[in-house]
Amino acid sequence: MVVGRPNVGKTLLVLSLAEYLRARTVDITFCDPYGRRELKTYAIGAAVLDLVGPHPHQTRCLQSIVVGVPAGKGRRVVELVDTTGLVDYIHKDSQVRKAMAQTLEAIRPADVIVHVVDAAEAGREGSGPPAGAIDRQIADFAGSRGGYFIVANKMDLPDAARGLARLQRMFSGYTVLPVSAVGRTGLREVKRHVLRNL
Amino acid sequence: MLAFDPRDPNLVLAGLEEGKLSPVEALEVLKHSAEPGQARPVGAQRAEELSSASAWRLKEALAELDSLIGLGKVKALVREIVAYVRIQQIRAARQLTCEPLVLHMIFSGNPGTGKTTCARLFGKIFREMGVLEKGHLVERERADLVGEYIGHTAQKTREQVKKALGGILFIDEAYSLARGGEKDFGKEAIDTLVKAMEDFRDKFIVILAGYRDEMATFINTNPGIRSRFPIHIEFPDYTTDELLRIADLMLKKRDYRLDLAARARLEFILSRRAGPGNQHSGNARLVRNIIERAIRRQALRLVEKQNLSREELMLIRREDITEDF
Repeated sequence: MVVGRPNVGKTLLVLSLAEYLRARTVDITFCDPYGRRELKTYAIGAAVLDLVGPHPHQTRCLQSIVVGVPAGKGRRVVELVDTTGLVDYIHKDSQVRKAMAQTLEAIRPADVIVHVVDAAEAGREGSGPPAGAIDRQIADFAGSRGGYFIVANKMDLPDAARGLARLQRMFSGYTVLPVSAVGRTGLREVKRHVLRNL
Repeated sequence: MLAFDPRDPNLVLAGLEEGKLSPVEALEVLKHSAEPGQARPVGAQRAEELSSASAWRLKEALAELDSLIGLGKVKALVREIVAYVRIQQIRAARQLTCEPLVLHMIFSGNPGTGKTTCARLFGKIFREMGVLEKGHLVERERADLVGEYIGHTAQKTREQVKKALGGILFIDEAYSLARGGEKDFGKEAIDTLVKAMEDFRDKFIVILAGYRDEMATFINTNPGIRSRFPIHIEFPDYTTDELLRIADLMLKKRDYRLDLAARARLEFILSRRAGPGNQHSGNARLVRNIIERAIRRQALRLVEKQNLSREELMLIRREDITEDF
């Protein structure tokens, strides 16, 4: 299960991971806060075009993809769950609030929690602390149990290297993996960590 | 507002949905209640359980009802109805026989005794329980239902019913539909309404409201109405004491308060104006009008003064309270 602030690239990370795991098409189950489910089949490229965008809160429901992962001699089936971004404040849109509540509800039973943060944002000159209150809170909440690690995304952007260092300092004691969902780098490590915690 | 009980994660999530908690605070509370074993899988909710947010809003609506002053019998009856609906739903989920839910109601009582307020709360409550889809209140009166020429009435009435689908159609002074004798179009409105109640059985709830005596005659002269509206709620007049408490509550909400002399004067006016038999008897609207006038008069008294203290800005004095508004 992938969590984080809005617009850090959770959806793109999930899709890149699916692609990295040799999926050509993905069956995405959309489960909205009202409990309605919908299944759509996408080619990865089309899914990226459809579901990823520059605006925060592109994702407003739980989107899960089931992929097979080669593990040792066999294959394991992993469900990747993409979630709504969490914010520090009380969001003004009730739809978004509902979706965030749904995210929090789903965090608890998840086997693995992948916490995505924006490394480029964290490394930007004069941007204050590298991660906000919500990131701290997610780390505290999920870090106390197994199967939690942090993904420093957007490593392809200029300030990201410094951001990664700052994040590693702030979240010392947790695993922080550098990833670029756009550049498809660091996905092998993510896969390894996910499998190890299943 | 209700306090957040960290032992109930569902309430915390509902608080987040309602915009009362930020995700940061919600996580903070959840952290202390994190028992992963207990969490329900996503989307796997049993039909007979209310969703967390609904349960929360239902509790809030009932708390709002309890916060109304007086109305002891009405509150008890509402709880009875809520419990009945809930158990019928659970029985249905367990495949037990249950009667169809007929929740059309008759409210009788003088104006300003809380009929509309209660109807609005019923809308909220039934929406959260899943009885109504939207739970909105459509308030109508005779003029909205009755047309000007033959055939017009049915059309107008159906239109109002359509607006009320998914919610509550609240018809004030409903007895006026039966006034005016055989040739009056009011009868046609009633017939259309009764037909619509059959056609859209579970889609909306009709509440007929009006003065007690007139409503009693209305029901007794229309036997079809009586059997289709199984729930009768009587709204008794407020006593002077209750009216004073209503006044205190209204003022408190607006950050004002009465001094002793003002309170005595208000009590005097209320007991005189609102005595039994008077048409204003037991009227919360009367209280509101007096108070709103008093607030304006207080403003007038203070507007020329310099260096106003906080205390002065809050205090309503005897001379501010007047009977004519």
